Amino acid sequence: MTPAITQPIPWLDGPLWPYLALLVFAVLPTEIWRWLAVAFARRIDADSPALEWVRAVATALLAGIVAKLIVAPPGALAAVPLFVRVAALAATLAVMAFDRRKMLLAVLAGEAVLIGGSVLLL
Amino acid sequence: MALAGMRDALSLPAWVVGFGLVGVGSLARDVGYPVEIAVLSTILVWAGPSQVIFFASIAAGAAWSAIALAIGFASLRFLPMTVAIMPLLQRPGQSLRMQLLLAHYVAVTAWAEGLRRLPGMPPHQRVVYFLAFANTCMAVSSVGTFLGYYLLGELPVALAAGLLCLTPIFFLASLSAGLRHRGDIVAIVLGLALAPVCHRFIGGGFDLIVAGLVAGTIAFFFRPRKRAS
Repeated sequence: MTPAITQPIPWLDGPLWPYLALLVFAVLPTEIWRWLAVAFARRIDADSPALEWVRAVATALLAGIVAKLIVAPPGALAAVPLFVRVAALAATLAVMAFDRRKMLLAVLAGEAVLIGGSVLLL
Repeated sequence: MALAGMRDALSLPAWVVGFGLVGVGSLARDVGYPVEIAVLSTILVWAGPSQVIFFASIAAGAAWSAIALAIGFASLRFLPMTVAIMPLLQRPGQSLRMQLLLAHYVAVTAWAEGLRRLPGMPPHQRVVYFLAFANTCMAVSSVGTFLGYYLLGELPVALAAGLLCLTPIFFLASLSAGLRHRGDIVAIVLGLALAPVCHRFIGGGFDLIVAGLVAGTIAFFFRPRKRAS
Protein backbone atom coordinates (compact mmCIF):
# COMPACT_ATOMS: atom_id res chain seq x y z
CA MET A 1 0.00 0.00 0.00
CA THR A 2 1.36 3.41 -0.91
CA PRO A 3 0.99 6.01 1.84
CA ALA A 4 -1.04 9.11 1.02
CA ILE A 5 1.02 12.17 0.15
CA THR A 6 1.29 14.99 2.67
CA GLN A 7 -1.86 17.12 2.39
CA PRO A 8 -1.83 20.94 2.33
CA ILE A 9 -2.54 22.75 5.61
CA PRO A 10 -6.34 23.29 5.23
CA TRP A 11 -6.68 27.01 6.06
CA LEU A 12 -3.73 27.88 3.81
CA ASP A 13 -4.75 25.65 0.92
CA GLY A 14 -5.34 27.17 -2.49
CA PRO A 15 -3.76 27.53 -5.89
CA LEU A 16 -0.67 29.10 -4.33
CA TRP A 17 -0.14 26.33 -1.75
CA PRO A 18 2.75 24.54 -3.53
CA TYR A 19 4.64 27.85 -3.69
CA LEU A 20 3.99 28.60 -0.04
CA ALA A 21 5.02 25.08 0.99
CA LEU A 22 8.25 25.31 -0.99
CA LEU A 23 9.13 28.69 0.55
CA VAL A 24 8.29 27.85 4.16
CA PHE A 25 9.30 24.19 4.41
CA ALA A 26 12.23 23.96 1.95
CA VAL A 27 13.71 27.38 1.11
CA LEU A 28 13.61 28.80 4.64
CA PRO A 29 15.20 25.85 6.52
CA THR A 30 17.95 25.69 3.86
CA GLU A 31 18.63 29.39 3.38
CA ILE A 32 18.65 30.30 7.07
CA TRP A 33 22.08 28.69 7.55
CA ARG A 34 23.57 30.63 4.66
CA TRP A 35 22.23 33.88 6.16
CA LEU A 36 23.51 33.05 9.64
CA ALA A 37 26.90 32.24 8.13
CA VAL A 38 27.08 35.69 6.52
CA ALA A 39 26.47 37.24 9.94
CA PHE A 40 29.28 35.12 11.40
CA ALA A 41 31.72 35.53 8.51
CA ARG A 42 31.69 39.32 8.87
CA ARG A 43 33.53 39.08 12.15
CA ILE A 44 35.82 36.10 11.74
CA ASP A 45 39.47 36.03 10.65
CA ALA A 46 40.15 33.92 7.55
CA ASP A 47 43.21 32.27 9.15
CA SER A 48 41.71 31.58 12.54
CA PRO A 49 41.73 28.05 13.99
CA ALA A 50 37.96 28.32 14.46
CA LEU A 51 37.54 28.60 10.70
CA GLU A 52 39.88 25.64 10.16
CA TRP A 53 37.68 23.61 12.49
CA VAL A 54 34.53 24.73 10.70
CA ARG A 55 36.07 23.71 7.37
CA ALA A 56 37.02 20.30 8.75
CA VAL A 57 33.45 19.73 9.99
CA ALA A 58 31.98 20.85 6.64
CA THR A 59 34.34 18.52 4.75
CA ALA A 60 33.46 15.58 7.01
CA LEU A 61 29.73 16.37 6.68
CA LEU A 62 29.96 16.27 2.90
CA ALA A 63 31.83 12.97 3.01
CA GLY A 64 29.09 11.76 5.35
CA ILE A 65 26.38 12.73 2.84
CA VAL A 66 28.25 10.73 0.17
CA ALA A 67 28.33 7.65 2.40
CA LYS A 68 24.67 8.06 3.36
CA LEU A 69 23.49 8.38 -0.25
CA ILE A 70 25.36 5.12 -0.96
CA VAL A 71 24.15 3.04 2.03
CA ALA A 72 20.59 4.48 2.06
CA PRO A 73 20.02 5.50 -1.57
CA PRO A 74 16.94 7.26 -3.02
CA GLY A 75 14.61 5.89 -5.72
CA ALA A 76 15.96 3.73 -8.54
CA LEU A 77 19.45 3.67 -7.02
CA ALA A 78 18.16 1.40 -4.24
CA ALA A 79 17.56 -1.30 -6.86
CA VAL A 80 21.33 -1.49 -7.53
CA PRO A 81 23.23 -3.90 -5.22
CA LEU A 82 25.29 -2.24 -2.48
CA PHE A 83 28.61 -3.62 -3.74
CA VAL A 84 28.06 -2.01 -7.16
CA ARG A 85 27.38 1.37 -5.50
CA VAL A 86 30.52 1.03 -3.39
CA ALA A 87 32.55 -0.13 -6.40
CA ALA A 88 31.45 3.00 -8.28
CA LEU A 89 32.81 5.22 -5.48
CA ALA A 90 36.01 3.15 -5.37
CA ALA A 91 36.52 3.64 -9.12
CA THR A 92 36.14 7.41 -8.71
CA LEU A 93 38.59 7.46 -5.79
CA ALA A 94 41.10 5.31 -7.68
CA VAL A 95 41.21 7.76 -10.60
CA MET A 96 41.51 10.75 -8.23
CA ALA A 97 44.33 9.03 -6.31
CA PHE A 98 46.13 8.48 -9.61
CA ASP A 99 45.77 12.08 -10.79
CA ARG A 100 43.77 14.74 -8.93
CA ARG A 101 43.25 16.84 -12.06
CA LYS A 102 41.31 14.07 -13.82
CA MET A 103 37.90 14.89 -12.32
CA LEU A 104 35.91 14.26 -15.48
CA LEU A 105 37.58 10.87 -15.89
CA ALA A 106 36.95 10.06 -12.22
CA VAL A 107 33.22 10.87 -12.51
CA LEU A 108 32.91 8.92 -15.77
CA ALA A 109 34.73 5.91 -14.26
CA GLY A 110 32.34 5.83 -11.30
CA GLU A 111 29.28 6.18 -13.56
CA ALA A 112 30.60 3.49 -15.93
CA VAL A 113 30.97 1.02 -13.04
CA LEU A 114 27.51 1.85 -11.70
CA ILE A 115 25.59 1.79 -14.98
CA GLY A 116 27.63 -1.17 -16.31
CA GLY A 117 27.07 -3.11 -13.10
CA SER A 118 23.34 -2.33 -13.11
CA VAL A 119 22.94 -3.45 -16.73
CA LEU A 120 24.76 -6.72 -15.98
CA LEU A 121 22.95 -7.51 -12.73
CA LEU A 122 19.41 -6.15 -13.08
CA MET B 1 36.55 36.79 -15.51
CA ALA B 2 32.86 36.16 -16.06
CA LEU B 3 33.76 34.15 -19.14
CA ALA B 4 36.33 32.16 -17.17
CA GLY B 5 33.66 31.36 -14.57
CA MET B 6 31.21 30.21 -17.22
CA ARG B 7 33.89 28.18 -19.00
CA ASP B 8 35.01 26.43 -15.80
CA ALA B 9 31.40 25.67 -14.90
CA LEU B 10 30.65 24.24 -18.34
CA SER B 11 33.87 22.20 -18.32
CA LEU B 12 32.09 19.70 -16.03
CA PRO B 13 30.49 20.91 -12.78
CA ALA B 14 27.39 22.54 -14.33
CA TRP B 15 26.58 19.35 -16.22
CA VAL B 16 27.00 17.19 -13.16
CA VAL B 17 24.70 19.34 -11.00
CA GLY B 18 22.30 19.65 -13.91
CA PHE B 19 22.10 15.90 -14.44
CA GLY B 20 22.00 15.36 -10.67
CA LEU B 21 18.88 17.54 -10.36
CA VAL B 22 17.08 15.69 -13.15
CA GLY B 23 15.94 13.29 -10.42
CA VAL B 24 14.34 16.14 -8.45
CA GLY B 25 12.13 16.98 -11.43
CA SER B 26 10.75 13.45 -11.50
CA LEU B 27 10.17 13.43 -7.71
CA ALA B 28 8.15 16.68 -7.97
CA ARG B 29 6.01 15.17 -10.70
CA ASP B 30 5.37 12.06 -8.57
CA VAL B 31 3.63 14.19 -5.89
CA GLY B 32 1.60 16.12 -8.44
CA TYR B 33 3.28 19.51 -7.96
CA PRO B 34 3.56 21.74 -11.04
CA VAL B 35 6.77 21.90 -13.05
CA GLU B 36 7.33 25.53 -11.93
CA ILE B 37 7.72 24.31 -8.36
CA ALA B 38 10.38 21.81 -9.42
CA VAL B 39 12.38 24.46 -11.29
CA LEU B 40 11.83 27.10 -8.55
CA SER B 41 13.12 24.62 -5.97
CA THR B 42 16.36 24.39 -7.93
CA ILE B 43 16.72 28.18 -8.11
CA LEU B 44 15.53 29.10 -4.61
CA VAL B 45 16.63 26.11 -2.51
CA TRP B 46 19.75 25.33 -4.56
CA ALA B 47 20.61 22.25 -2.52
CA GLY B 48 20.03 18.80 -4.00
CA PRO B 49 19.55 16.95 -0.69
CA SER B 50 17.00 19.54 0.57
CA GLN B 51 15.01 19.23 -2.63
CA VAL B 52 15.12 15.43 -2.55
CA ILE B 53 13.97 15.42 1.11
CA PHE B 54 11.17 17.91 0.35
CA PHE B 55 9.55 15.99 -2.51
CA ALA B 56 10.34 12.49 -1.24
CA SER B 57 8.87 13.30 2.23
CA ILE B 58 5.68 14.68 0.70
CA ALA B 59 5.40 11.46 -1.29
CA ALA B 60 5.83 9.49 1.95
CA GLY B 61 3.16 11.55 3.75
CA ALA B 62 5.48 13.09 6.36
CA ALA B 63 4.28 15.93 8.61
CA TRP B 64 5.21 19.44 7.41
CA SER B 65 7.08 20.14 10.64
CA ALA B 66 9.12 16.93 10.19
CA ILE B 67 9.93 17.90 6.61
CA ALA B 68 11.15 21.35 7.64
CA LEU B 69 13.18 19.87 10.51
CA ALA B 70 14.83 17.23 8.31
CA ILE B 71 15.74 19.85 5.71
CA GLY B 72 17.04 22.16 8.43
CA PHE B 73 19.35 19.48 9.76
CA ALA B 74 20.51 18.36 6.34
CA SER B 75 21.28 21.99 5.50
CA LEU B 76 23.22 22.72 8.67
CA ARG B 77 26.34 21.99 6.62
CA PHE B 78 25.81 25.31 4.82
CA LEU B 79 26.68 27.19 8.00
CA PRO B 80 30.30 25.93 8.18
CA MET B 81 30.60 25.83 4.39
CA THR B 82 29.46 29.43 3.93
CA VAL B 83 31.54 30.69 6.84
CA ALA B 84 34.55 29.02 5.19
CA ILE B 85 34.08 30.55 1.74
CA MET B 86 32.81 34.07 2.56
CA PRO B 87 36.23 35.45 3.59
CA LEU B 88 37.46 34.64 0.07
CA LEU B 89 34.64 36.66 -1.47
CA GLN B 90 34.41 39.58 0.95
CA ARG B 91 35.53 42.97 -0.31
CA PRO B 92 35.82 46.26 1.54
CA GLY B 93 32.56 48.18 1.28
CA GLN B 94 30.56 45.19 0.03
CA SER B 95 26.87 45.51 0.87
CA LEU B 96 25.07 43.03 3.09
CA ARG B 97 22.64 42.36 0.27
CA MET B 98 25.53 41.33 -2.00
CA GLN B 99 26.91 39.01 0.66
CA LEU B 100 23.51 37.37 1.16
CA LEU B 101 23.26 36.91 -2.60
CA LEU B 102 26.73 35.33 -2.76
CA ALA B 103 25.86 33.06 0.17
CA HIS B 104 22.74 31.83 -1.63
CA TYR B 105 24.92 30.18 -4.28
CA VAL B 106 26.85 28.14 -1.70
CA ALA B 107 26.19 24.49 -2.42
CA VAL B 108 28.65 21.66 -2.84
CA THR B 109 29.74 22.47 -6.38
CA ALA B 110 30.39 26.18 -6.14
CA TRP B 111 31.80 25.69 -2.65
CA ALA B 112 34.32 22.95 -3.47
CA GLU B 113 35.34 24.56 -6.75
CA GLY B 114 35.45 28.01 -5.14
CA LEU B 115 37.69 26.94 -2.26
CA ARG B 116 39.99 25.32 -4.80
CA ARG B 117 40.16 28.10 -7.40
CA LEU B 118 39.46 31.42 -5.61
CA PRO B 119 42.60 31.63 -3.44
CA GLY B 120 44.82 31.73 -6.55
CA MET B 121 42.83 34.62 -7.99
CA PRO B 122 43.20 38.38 -7.38
CA PRO B 123 40.53 39.33 -4.78
CA HIS B 124 38.80 41.91 -6.99
CA GLN B 125 38.05 39.31 -9.69
CA ARG B 126 36.66 36.63 -7.39
CA VAL B 127 33.05 37.85 -6.99
CA VAL B 128 32.47 38.14 -10.74
CA TYR B 129 34.05 34.74 -11.33
CA PHE B 130 32.04 33.09 -8.55
CA LEU B 131 28.71 34.59 -9.70
CA ALA B 132 29.34 33.60 -13.32
CA PHE B 133 30.33 30.08 -12.28
CA ALA B 134 27.37 29.57 -9.93
CA ASN B 135 24.76 31.14 -12.24
CA THR B 136 25.91 28.95 -15.11
CA CYS B 137 25.51 25.88 -12.90
CA MET B 138 22.05 27.11 -11.83
CA ALA B 139 20.88 27.76 -15.40
CA VAL B 140 21.97 24.31 -16.60
CA SER B 141 20.40 22.72 -13.51
CA SER B 142 17.07 24.49 -14.04
CA VAL B 143 16.91 23.00 -17.52
CA GLY B 144 17.89 19.61 -16.07
CA THR B 145 15.11 19.78 -13.46
CA PHE B 146 12.59 20.78 -16.13
CA LEU B 147 13.60 17.91 -18.41
CA GLY B 148 13.61 15.44 -15.52
CA TYR B 149 10.02 16.39 -14.68
CA TYR B 150 8.90 15.12 -18.07
CA LEU B 151 11.50 12.50 -19.00
CA LEU B 152 12.99 10.53 -16.10
CA GLY B 153 10.08 8.10 -15.72
CA GLU B 154 10.74 6.96 -19.29
CA LEU B 155 14.36 5.92 -18.61
CA PRO B 156 15.56 2.34 -17.94
CA VAL B 157 16.45 1.64 -14.29
CA ALA B 158 20.21 1.47 -14.92
CA LEU B 159 20.26 4.99 -16.38
CA ALA B 160 17.94 6.41 -13.71
CA ALA B 161 20.22 4.89 -11.05
CA GLY B 162 23.24 6.37 -12.84
CA LEU B 163 21.68 9.85 -12.69
CA LEU B 164 20.83 9.46 -8.99
CA CYS B 165 24.38 8.25 -8.22
CA LEU B 166 25.93 11.24 -9.96
CA THR B 167 25.57 13.36 -6.83
CA PRO B 168 27.64 11.17 -4.43
CA ILE B 169 30.22 10.38 -7.13
CA PHE B 170 30.69 14.04 -7.95
CA PHE B 171 30.75 15.10 -4.28
CA LEU B 172 33.53 12.59 -3.66
CA ALA B 173 35.54 13.70 -6.71
CA SER B 174 35.19 17.38 -5.68
CA LEU B 175 36.29 16.61 -2.15
CA SER B 176 39.37 14.70 -3.35
CA ALA B 177 40.22 17.46 -5.81
CA GLY B 178 40.16 20.02 -3.00
CA LEU B 179 42.50 18.17 -0.61
CA ARG B 180 45.05 20.50 0.97
CA HIS B 181 46.65 18.49 3.77
CA ARG B 182 46.35 15.34 5.83
CA GLY B 183 43.64 16.96 7.98
CA ASP B 184 41.35 16.99 4.92
CA ILE B 185 42.13 13.33 4.23
CA VAL B 186 41.24 12.41 7.81
CA ALA B 187 37.99 14.42 7.55
CA ILE B 188 36.94 12.65 4.35
CA VAL B 189 37.89 9.12 5.45
CA LEU B 190 36.29 9.48 8.90
CA GLY B 191 33.22 11.18 7.45
CA LEU B 192 32.73 8.32 4.98
CA ALA B 193 33.25 5.71 7.71
CA LEU B 194 31.21 7.29 10.51
CA ALA B 195 28.11 8.32 8.55
CA PRO B 196 26.85 4.75 7.92
CA VAL B 197 27.52 3.88 11.57
CA CYS B 198 25.60 6.93 12.79
CA HIS B 199 22.86 6.24 10.24
CA ARG B 200 22.47 2.80 11.82
CA PHE B 201 22.41 3.92 15.44
CA ILE B 202 21.25 7.54 15.57
CA GLY B 203 17.77 8.41 14.35
CA GLY B 204 15.67 11.51 13.84
CA GLY B 205 17.92 13.13 11.24
CA PHE B 206 20.71 13.80 13.72
CA ASP B 207 23.07 11.14 12.30
CA LEU B 208 24.86 13.32 9.74
CA ILE B 209 25.43 16.17 12.16
CA VAL B 210 26.98 13.84 14.75
CA ALA B 211 29.19 12.14 12.14
CA GLY B 212 30.32 15.50 10.79
CA LEU B 213 31.09 17.02 14.17
CA VAL B 214 33.02 13.99 15.44
CA ALA B 215 34.96 13.35 12.21
CA GLY B 216 35.63 17.05 11.61
CA THR B 217 36.85 17.67 15.15
CA ILE B 218 39.24 14.71 15.01
CA ALA B 219 40.47 15.87 11.58
CA PHE B 220 41.03 19.37 12.98
CA PHE B 221 43.74 17.99 15.28
CA PHE B 222 45.50 16.38 12.33
CA ARG B 223 45.94 19.67 10.46
CA PRO B 224 49.52 20.78 9.93
CA ARG B 225 50.72 23.27 12.55
CA LYS B 226 51.17 26.79 11.25
CA ARG B 227 54.59 28.31 11.85
CA ALA B 228 54.49 31.10 14.41
CA SER B 229 54.73 34.39 12.53
